[in-house]
Amino acid sequence: MRQALKSDAPLIVYVDIKSPYAFVAIRPTLALEAELGLQFDWRPLTLDIPSYLGSAEKKKGKVVASKGRSQRTWNAIRYSYRDARRYAERQGLILKGTEKIWDSTLPNIGILWVMQTARARLGAYFEAVYPPFWRRELDIEDIAVVENCLNEAGVDASGFAAFASGEGRTRHDALQPQFHPNGIYGVPTYVLGDDILFGREHIPYIRWVLSGRVGDAPDIAYEIA
Amino acid sequence: MLTVYLDFKSPAAYLAMTPTLALADRLGLATTWKPFRTVERDVPKLGKEETVGESHRRVRAASQRALAIKYAKQQGIDLTFPEKLGASDLALGVLTTIEGDPLPFIQGAFDAYWRDHADLDDLQIVQDLVHKTGTQMSAKLSRSRDLLDAAQDQAEEAGIVGAPAYVIAEQIFVGREHLPWIEEIASTL
Repeated sequence: MRQALKSDAPLIVYVDIKSPYAFVAIRPTLALEAELGLQFDWRPLTLDIPSYLGSAEKKKGKVVASKGRSQRTWNAIRYSYRDARRYAERQGLILKGTEKIWDSTLPNIGILWVMQTARARLGAYFEAVYPPFWRRELDIEDIAVVENCLNEAGVDASGFAAFASGEGRTRHDALQPQFHPNGIYGVPTYVLGDDILFGREHIPYIRWVLSGRVGDAPDIAYEIA
Repeated sequence: MLTVYLDFKSPAAYLAMTPTLALADRLGLATTWKPFRTVERDVPKLGKEETVGESHRRVRAASQRALAIKYAKQQGIDLTFPEKLGASDLALGVLTTIEGDPLPFIQGAFDAYWRDHADLDDLQIVQDLVHKTGTQMSAKLSRSRDLLDAAQDQAEEAGIVGAPAYVIAEQIFVGREHLPWIEEIASTL
């Protein structure tokens, strides 16, 4: 049950394609990886959003169905989207609120596939999936769409369908129940030794640790380019 | 002009004080301090049977506390949470009535809550705090709760959803992690 925290890499990074927080964390985390000359252990955490935030469905930008969400929850969600959007725009990205809560299992299994078969193409895979998904251009529940993203990223997708319904699915599903017992609840989560850090605001601290703890430890911050 | 919304019982607001004051000093930024009543929750006990949502909330609350303690240590603060989370309404209401520099009261209230675990909704405790910090108020302490309610409504209407929240150049930022962007905006004003 401790596999969720174990890795030979210096840092484990948990992400989910359908999370706007993870979306705006991808490029800064990839940049940190390149800056430090390290390879992080990227893994999928497929969020079960309705279990803790209620659910909602939108059509043409308007909420047409909502369950289990108070006004306060709605305000917080709206702020979170606005916040993620402005940081996405700073990265030259577009972030449109999703119209339903997507099942991101397939593209998340895609992360495992890329890590296993074409590690060097991981950044390209994220670029092939994340930005178009957040422009509402991808049906990530369609395996052909995910295969297309893999191909676009220069990753051989032959065998992915079998992986997604076999070994990949098993590995993905085995990870999910390990999160809460190990103190992990959202994305992006960074596992750095004994530290479990939720949110990209910890990137300055992670850099400080992985580059030798020189000077005072930094506070949390969303770094801006 | 920077407006900062805070709640004395919010660990995030407490830990934001030093970096926020440093930023304001560095840029010579005029700062207005306003109250915002946050919802702080105890870490739920592990139940025999938990839904996924209950488990998520418990793990999230425990994680947030652990991270607050971790970063507090970096500021030289030994952050301990009160056994039972108190209220801060009365002291927050005072913040709407302060004439002159509010910082001695703000610092005093944060210290009272986080070092002494004082009940900042207790009339005697808040009265003592007002005297101790030499705070001048434009309204009676008995009106504080009503004034807080009005301020809370205004803040929520303005789109504030938590504390610390910062308003600068009509943008709202919740959390001190946004200070780099806030500094960037402030530098251009």
